[in-house]
Amino acid sequence: MRLQLSGHGASRGSALGRARVRLPHVLEVVEERITDVEAEIARLHAAILVVRDEMHVTRRRLHGALAQEVGEFLDLHALLLDDPELLRGLDALIRTGRYSADYALRLQRDRIANVFTGMDDAYLRSRIDDIDQVIGRIHAALHRRDADVQGIAGEILVTDNIAPSEVAQLQAQGVMAVVTAGGSALSHSAILARSLHLPLVVGTTLALQKINDGDVLVVDGGTGLVVREPEASDLREHRARMRDLKRERRQLNRLRREPSRTRDGIDIRLYANAESREDVAEAHALGAAGVGLYRTEFLFLNTDAVPDEEAQFRAYRDLVLGMTGRTVTIRTLDLGADKADRTGLVLGNEPNPALGLRGVRLSLSRPALFETQLRAIVRASAYGPVRILVPMVSGREEVLAVGALLARVVTELRAQGHAVAEHIPLGAMIEVPSAALSLPDFIGALDFISIGTNDLVQYVLAADRNNDALGPLYSPLHPAVLRLLRAVITVAGRRNIPVAVCGEIAGDPACVPLLLALGLQEFSLHPATLLEVRRAIRDCDLGMLRARAPQLLRARDRGAIERWLHRVRLPSTQ
Amino acid sequence: MIERELLVSNRLGLHARATAKLVQLLSGFRSNATLVARGREVNAKSIMGVMLLAAGQGTPVLLRVEGEDEAAAADAAAALFERRFDEEN
Repeated sequence: MRLQLSGHGASRGSALGRARVRLPHVLEVVEERITDVEAEIARLHAAILVVRDEMHVTRRRLHGALAQEVGEFLDLHALLLDDPELLRGLDALIRTGRYSADYALRLQRDRIANVFTGMDDAYLRSRIDDIDQVIGRIHAALHRRDADVQGIAGEILVTDNIAPSEVAQLQAQGVMAVVTAGGSALSHSAILARSLHLPLVVGTTLALQKINDGDVLVVDGGTGLVVREPEASDLREHRARMRDLKRERRQLNRLRREPSRTRDGIDIRLYANAESREDVAEAHALGAAGVGLYRTEFLFLNTDAVPDEEAQFRAYRDLVLGMTGRTVTIRTLDLGADKADRTGLVLGNEPNPALGLRGVRLSLSRPALFETQLRAIVRASAYGPVRILVPMVSGREEVLAVGALLARVVTELRAQGHAVAEHIPLGAMIEVPSAALSLPDFIGALDFISIGTNDLVQYVLAADRNNDALGPLYSPLHPAVLRLLRAVITVAGRRNIPVAVCGEIAGDPACVPLLLALGLQEFSLHPATLLEVRRAIRDCDLGMLRARAPQLLRARDRGAIERWLHRVRLPSTQ
Repeated sequence: MIERELLVSNRLGLHARATAKLVQLLSGFRSNATLVARGREVNAKSIMGVMLLAAGQGTPVLLRVEGEDEAAAADAAAALFERRFDEEN
């Protein structure tokens, strides 16, 4: 019989499919003894290693605002996974009790749960959920199960709650939609589901009581309605929603082959920020002009040892080959004390990492390391157009020092018989206010610049973008930020030096008119929103925006900037 | 061995976020660290241990650090407490 359940729509989209119910994760493990203690401990630690890698991969997939929001959550889970007390307790149980790893996990979990559930503080009490999720993942890894939902392709997962770390995994497994009994539309999981276009309904309180495995469901992630055993009218509505969504997606997809051209015929160059091989492939497929920002830190963050010249060379060369002749911009190491690394390159415990030894400062303080990286990049330049981008530049001296080092590396490589491109453009990230303000003093030594708005905004406003307590204080929509952007773009324009913007703002379709009005002609953004930004560009009239730029630069506060954005919006034609 | 008397003065107390910061910070040092509060003593490098203290705002805690870099570790941890775990102004 038809039954309608209502939850809260947390991620848009409509799905029709059979339900797969996952009951709350209680470790139903019976007592089991083993004989080979060391082998059992090794088995446990291998499983922990698998989970740690999974978390790492999930973390790398996240980008931008998402990385900040979900990252904290993943960090908590990673810390729990590495918790010395948790690990020591497990080892001891296996050693002294001769228990299987499974049973040791359960005993340890119950022990911890006993203490946590007795706590007065409701918030801390509910941290047992995090511990359960971590222990559940170790248990799944022991059995090489993907958290118990294998073969879920084409089905709708119904469960009590879903961890952010699971969302990407479920989407990759082909799950159609997720319905949870608990959760909130503001959770990290919901944010992640929206970015991955996975329909999600949360807070469907009766879901676990009323829905059984195999029930046919229609789920509307927009309104939060879940219908069990849908009738003809429900199916009709589902089809209508699917048609609308498909039309919207088709319109976007048509733009893959279309130019990023404004209504008045000006071509804007959209470069992709890329971190992984998948990003590069996607950038290529979406018709990006090239890679505008390849973050090399990831080569360094995933290993215990600093990658040598050969390893780096191969990574850069494959990147260049993957873009088949389109320009690839490789940013030199941008490590700082705020990014965890295992290589020991970064000084831990800097009192103020945002203002510390990071980016080009770190590179110049470690000349051998820097030279190795430059050699690898220069060698890759033989395989296609490569540009070198230097992060965290604060003034002329650094630009000249990098330029001299690069020239020496090129000469040496040529002398050693390596193929090297004729000219390798050198660029600087403009993200430190001093670099933005003294740009005329050193722009002559550069071939291009890229404005890193995330850091620039943070430094101009003295507002940490990871500090929730600051609320709306951290925003690029500040008159000081816009005027500084305008000044940088003007200086570069006078010298005919290409300038791109590569912060979050470049990937926000709503901000496109603003950046175009400021004179920007190149964007570098994550592939996820490239088509939406292209659509926004195609809806803009550059001549009109330029004519209204003076109004924008006169705006005295955020409200005025938002009103300007509202006024210049043209009705969409696409 | 160094002992420091500290006060949990951030609004949320030693919740997950503040605890994570403390554990991450101390894990960067070689020294062993324990935290004593409300009659319990826990490993200060264990996020579970520290959360189990349930030390809310206003709870006095004793930090004990022992090892080759104990002075630096104790200073860094004390500074984090003084900055209220960077949560508020």
